[in-house]
Amino acid sequence: MSQNESLAVILESSPQVTQLRRASRENDGFDFSLSIEPKGIPELARMLKDQGFFLEYLTAVDYGQTMELVYSFSKWIEPDRVQAVCPAWPMEAAPSICGVFPAANWQEREVFDMFGLEFKDHPDLKRLLLIQEEGLHPLRKDFVAGPQHSGDVVETEMV
Amino acid sequence: MLRKTLTDDTFYLNMGPQHPSTHGVLRLLLRLDGERIVECEPVLGYSHRGHEHMAQTRSYLRFMPNPCRMDYLAGLMYNHAYCLAVERACGIEAPPRAQFIRVICAELNRISSHLLWFGAYLLDLGGFTPFLYAFDDREDVLSILGEITGSRLTYSYCRFGGVARDLTPKFIELTKAFIPKLRVRLKDYDTLVSKNVIFINRTKDVGVITKEQARDYSVTGPNLRACGVPHDQRRCEPYSVYPEIDFEVITADGANGEGDCYDRYLVRMQEMEESLRIVEQALQRLPEGPIRAKGVAQEPAPPPGAYQYCYESARGMLGIYLVSDGSRVPVRMKWRTPSFSNLSILPILLPGTLVADTVAILGSLDLVIPEIDR
Repeated sequence: MSQNESLAVILESSPQVTQLRRASRENDGFDFSLSIEPKGIPELARMLKDQGFFLEYLTAVDYGQTMELVYSFSKWIEPDRVQAVCPAWPMEAAPSICGVFPAANWQEREVFDMFGLEFKDHPDLKRLLLIQEEGLHPLRKDFVAGPQHSGDVVETEMV
Repeated sequence: MLRKTLTDDTFYLNMGPQHPSTHGVLRLLLRLDGERIVECEPVLGYSHRGHEHMAQTRSYLRFMPNPCRMDYLAGLMYNHAYCLAVERACGIEAPPRAQFIRVICAELNRISSHLLWFGAYLLDLGGFTPFLYAFDDREDVLSILGEITGSRLTYSYCRFGGVARDLTPKFIELTKAFIPKLRVRLKDYDTLVSKNVIFINRTKDVGVITKEQARDYSVTGPNLRACGVPHDQRRCEPYSVYPEIDFEVITADGANGEGDCYDRYLVRMQEMEESLRIVEQALQRLPEGPIRAKGVAQEPAPPPGAYQYCYESARGMLGIYLVSDGSRVPVRMKWRTPSFSNLSILPILLPGTLVADTVAILGSLDLVIPEIDR
């Protein structure tokens, strides 16, 4: 059984995964794409970390009516890339995976910043890149760039 | 994270956003106990320009000039990676000659990026002379790239399915003269810097990253290879013509699975030699033929779906995640930039070190701030 096959068996047998799709690295860039419920994310992350994976990135996609969170996990040297997709809005907030991958801390803050999506149990969920302005979530599809955003810099605390 | 009222003798220091050693606009909020750092929090966003928002509000072609402005020191690589990502989504393949030309240019760009890092890092540590030498060499690379691309830093040279212009005889002549020149210079740098006692004392056992920490914080690129992990996208997930080219993935000895500032220095210096080997081989094998694939729409509309492309930029793994709905404007384009993750490890590296080491550690990570902020 190849490495790729054994990973497929592990992913198929994990209870959090609702749907598993094999993709092609050549054409799509990842090996597996799986759908998962938000509450199963930390469990999946822990399981993949035990298998030697690291979190490449975490992001969100706004489709207008719904939003999805996308997690990309990969391995060193012999990459098996697993992409996990979970519904994020209008569902309840997904739990944070900072406890498993500390790298997720900033990634989740960026998603919060750009999409306004919250993460449960995040240690310090605040904006990462943008200024403090109500409703400023520019990567949402309903965001309109223009003069209604004053651009006035609200000074972040210099302590 | 940082408490506002202090009950002990510690105090806060803002390092940046305009600090010469932060290479761009990064603010480090340091809590100090005398000279020792207790806590550190990087504050980002000073050069956020909304590239990802621009990506999802315009067509693929009109986004072409943006990627090279994210990481202005390795602009050609970002340009290359963007074209490769769109080509994967559309199922386009560039002709062999174009692929070789792209790799030659990308590797020259990697050399210029590492040279700038080398000069600026030594400058941060107080050595002024290497900076002048490194910039002299870098100027050669920029002239070579300028000869073919027409720009010095922000190259939009690649096209979907090829490159904009063919190599000129002058380009080949300049590159062939540059390779032996830099080899001599790299030896000079080695004798000048690698065995310098002051440099060794400033960098050995400073800013140690373990393999486990690197995995936790998704550190990639030379910073990861300095921990002894031979992870390089050019070898692990070979793209373009890299499978045909013979080169080493440089790692520091890393027997104990740790990498300090000195290891990261060694990795980058040796990577320049490998890049020279790649350029040399690619020039030898450069095939004749067209430089653009025929019948490629320059306003592409990839079939619906999600695509990912991973690329080894000068600073680590660059990932592009692209969601298309079949139209000419992407639904979403996420840029996973290497410095973003490489910087996120800083809050655990700094506590316990001295303020002077902050500069040594921060510099050794080779950060480009506009790439983090996008």
